[in-house]
Amino acid sequence: MARRKRGQHANSNGDDDVNLTPMLDVVFILLIFFIVTAQFIKEPGVDIVRPEVDNKEQAKPLAILIAIDENSEVWIAKKQVPLTEVGFTIKELRRDNPKGEIVVQTDVDSEAGVLVDVMESINNIDGATAINISTKID
Amino acid sequence: MRGRTARQPDEADVDLTPMLDVVFILLIFFIVTATFTQEQALGLEPPPPPNDTPQEPVPSILIYIDEAGLITVNGRVTDVGSVRANIERVKAEAPDSSVVIQAHTKAASGTVILIRDAAYNAGYDDRVNFVVSGE
Repeated sequence: MARRKRGQHANSNGDDDVNLTPMLDVVFILLIFFIVTAQFIKEPGVDIVRPEVDNKEQAKPLAILIAIDENSEVWIAKKQVPLTEVGFTIKELRRDNPKGEIVVQTDVDSEAGVLVDVMESINNIDGATAINISTKID
Repeated sequence: MRGRTARQPDEADVDLTPMLDVVFILLIFFIVTATFTQEQALGLEPPPPPNDTPQEPVPSILIYIDEAGLITVNGRVTDVGSVRANIERVKAEAPDSSVVIQAHTKAASGTVILIRDAAYNAGYDDRVNFVVSGE
């Protein structure tokens, strides 16, 4: 009786308890993948038409995205930013993200004057010799 | 004896459920915050600082873009497609010349970027300046 009960117990145990170890392995792999690829970038949140050019490089790691839309309004992190506050906003975002590239997404129809102002703000903060202008990805 | 064997597997098996919960929460957090943003960028030089003009005058290729998007290379009116040929022609005459892209404030950025691209194509990885004029 006792022996049969024990056998039954072990049997039902094997049926009920699903072995979680392989799933745990997969979940851990996924977790590590997402941790490694995680980049906390705030997108500007506006759709722009990017220019198509031949000479482009992958900009990475990305840090800050600044968009200039077709009405020449500047957008950073889903907020419209007045031109005078662009530098200040970049400085603030740089505190969270000290390394990485600043990329300007400028619409083909935006005004060159606004683009130059944004570039000067970036240059004042980063001292970059060339500012990354987002282009169409092929 | 029997009691001991029955208890031992209980002590050895760690309950993984709480850890699994935490791991799932973390996983979901990282999936939700994951951004797969990619950017391919063209390098565009910012204008030189205003007080930084002691250099000797070098021969330069002046490309002017006016309000309407009309492109002039050293006074000659061209279109976007011919800018590269124009730059190369002047470069052949004076190899150490630099390029100045001068755009009207109201000119389209797209044109400026296409001209900078043409300058890259003509072999100008540096010695290009982008300035704006005309309020």
